[in-house]
Amino acid sequence: MDHTSPLETIFRRVALGVILVFFLFPIFWIVLMSFQTNEQILRIPPRVFFSPTLSNYKALISGELITTVGSLKLTFMHNLWNSFFLSTTSVLVALVLGVPAAYAFARFKFRLGEDIAFTLLSIRFAPPLLILLPLSLLFNEIGLSDTYIGLIWVYQLICLPLIVWIVRGYFEDISPDIEHAYRIDGHSWAQTFFRIAVPLARPGIAAAGLLSFIFAWNNFVFALILGSADKQPVTVGALAFVTAAGISYGQIAAAIVLSILPTLALALYAQRYLVEGLSLGAVKG
Amino acid sequence: MYEKERRLIEAFVGGRMSRRELFAGLGKLGVGAVAARYLLNDAVTSAMAADFDWMKHKGTHLKLLLNKHPYADAMIADIEAFKKLTGMDISYDIFPEDVYFDKVTAALSSKSSQYDCLMTGAYQTWQYGPAGWLVDLNEYINSDNTSSGWDKKDILPNLLASDSWSGKPGDALGGEGAKQWCLPWAFEQYCISYNKRIFDSLKLTPPQHMEDLIEAAVKITKSDNNAYGIGVRGSRSWATIHPGFLSGYVSYGASDFVMKDGHLKAAMNSPEAKKFTELWVKMIQEAGPKNWATYTWYQVGNDLGAGASGMIYDADILGFFQNNGDTKEKGNIGFHDFIANPEAKAPKSNVWIWSLAMSNFSKQKDAAWYFLQWATSKEHDLFGAIKGDMVDPARQSVWDNDDFKSRMGKNKGYLEQFEKTSPGAKIYFTPQPLFFNVTTDWAAALQRMVAKQVPVDEGLDQLADSINKQMEQAGL
Repeated sequence: MDHTSPLETIFRRVALGVILVFFLFPIFWIVLMSFQTNEQILRIPPRVFFSPTLSNYKALISGELITTVGSLKLTFMHNLWNSFFLSTTSVLVALVLGVPAAYAFARFKFRLGEDIAFTLLSIRFAPPLLILLPLSLLFNEIGLSDTYIGLIWVYQLICLPLIVWIVRGYFEDISPDIEHAYRIDGHSWAQTFFRIAVPLARPGIAAAGLLSFIFAWNNFVFALILGSADKQPVTVGALAFVTAAGISYGQIAAAIVLSILPTLALALYAQRYLVEGLSLGAVKG
Repeated sequence: MYEKERRLIEAFVGGRMSRRELFAGLGKLGVGAVAARYLLNDAVTSAMAADFDWMKHKGTHLKLLLNKHPYADAMIADIEAFKKLTGMDISYDIFPEDVYFDKVTAALSSKSSQYDCLMTGAYQTWQYGPAGWLVDLNEYINSDNTSSGWDKKDILPNLLASDSWSGKPGDALGGEGAKQWCLPWAFEQYCISYNKRIFDSLKLTPPQHMEDLIEAAVKITKSDNNAYGIGVRGSRSWATIHPGFLSGYVSYGASDFVMKDGHLKAAMNSPEAKKFTELWVKMIQEAGPKNWATYTWYQVGNDLGAGASGMIYDADILGFFQNNGDTKEKGNIGFHDFIANPEAKAPKSNVWIWSLAMSNFSKQKDAAWYFLQWATSKEHDLFGAIKGDMVDPARQSVWDNDDFKSRMGKNKGYLEQFEKTSPGAKIYFTPQPLFFNVTTDWAAALQRMVAKQVPVDEGLDQLADSINKQMEQAGL
């Protein structure tokens, strides 16, 4: 039986509406801006109704901006590809390395095990610039400067600790008895890991993978310092619309819309795993 | 090429004919605009190549580090001319301004040989030069590797001096033993850019000095124009100090440091400095933007372009971009020189100079010098100034060019303010390695004074004390 009074229902709905507007309004406004020219955006007071233009998206996608000097090259779509490639590859590498490591930390007690796990986590505490300048010298020496391989390696500083520490929690939550039973049937540790442990921890792995992807996608400083202009992600690329001649707000808004699409699509797809995975890890029973 | 066309182009290259006359003449001969431009670029390239072996480094590949800026855009638009002239290949990395100097500092401090030449400002070279990261270009300027057409005397002398320093804190820029850390490319000086529509509606004339400025700004703020009086920068950054603020400050006879017993001592609390700062703070409190403490180049410019401010005391090129870009007030912006101190006779303006430098870690310095020569040449500066937005150019010959004058003349008062201000336009800061710390603290002190957290008099005394301690700790 529902004991909620009509007043309470109305209050709840209004409160939900206010919260939704509070969180979604900036995104809604950015979407509107992406269909306006700079002059329309900077009007005082701003207007919700306007004649929409696709020129911002056209300039970004075609990679060409017509200005008084002539046609200028925009590299935004290449930046978008860089973000996608660097984030995806880094997460895949981190999963390949991190999931077995997380399993080992969860299941086995070995010498310096906790120290190694904590060292991995401590990398997350260090300010990136502190790491990057010595790394930059080292990369120059060994020829990894301005290479995708070098960047994917450095991106492990973001992805690997996250995956190891989140996935380790999930493995610890799964009862080892199931694995022991499977082992008694004559299967190896490797078979047990791939056929029992990984499928059971899949929601946790998906959640850790998605979080790592978001962190890698949002990274700014690694490629900036270690890569040349053709290796830059969207986070750096979007700043190209801020120039001394003015800020191209419309193009920045269109760039934001395009750059959140991959993460949004992935988050929507993995939403079920994400909620399940995060809540499983959070509740101990 | 036909004889008549060739003669016309030779006359232009030889300086006997303006670009407009040339194009009119070619038009009469039936040569279209695109073909005329091609022929012209070809002729300019040939003229440059006539007396100098530009092909000496043919086949070399150079890499540049550039900031995303209209000056860089203008250079990129002309880069084919350099390739054709020298037979060199060239590529560039272009980074947004917000992160550009982080990239430069990282590249130079890691001794990377990836970049041969880079864009910089003079203030940055006070760190990069003495650290041994940049080449002293005097070695090249006075050598046989320099074309006779690269006319050093044509570069505005104040700018050339502002880009050179001995490395000894307190030594005058361009003084004895100064090293040329970079070459001026194009610059900005500080004047009043005002909204003609608002000024006409209130029957105002451009202000002549500080008190006049405050009066006009207050009138605009109190009027029903939906605009505040005066836009200036206010964020906690060195960029708040160097434009209008420092220009007005030196007009009142104040300086940032004085030399006492061989040591630099902060002079922000001198009587002249206090007098000017009182007026500056009052101006912002009574007629500045509401969120002044967050204002950077972008907010100041946007407000002028959107009609949200009546005037700005900032870079002339900032007003130029708002007057010629995709803005509401396009065509409505006027320019006027400004003598902050009513007792002074001529304007004084600090400057920001986008300059080109050579990395000391480049493995092909001679070839890099060829690029620097070309990029700072009369020919390229003129191309950038006419075909691109390379304003204000660093060469006098471009300012004397009829086509450039005709272009800039469409911006009311622009050429006049340049002529009056440029003789007193140079870097007025005392060169020293703590430049960015000092100016950031200065901006933070201004914020406290504008917010009335501390009286101006007391705030400046505190600032001078704090800076003196920092200088002492740094052994300066």
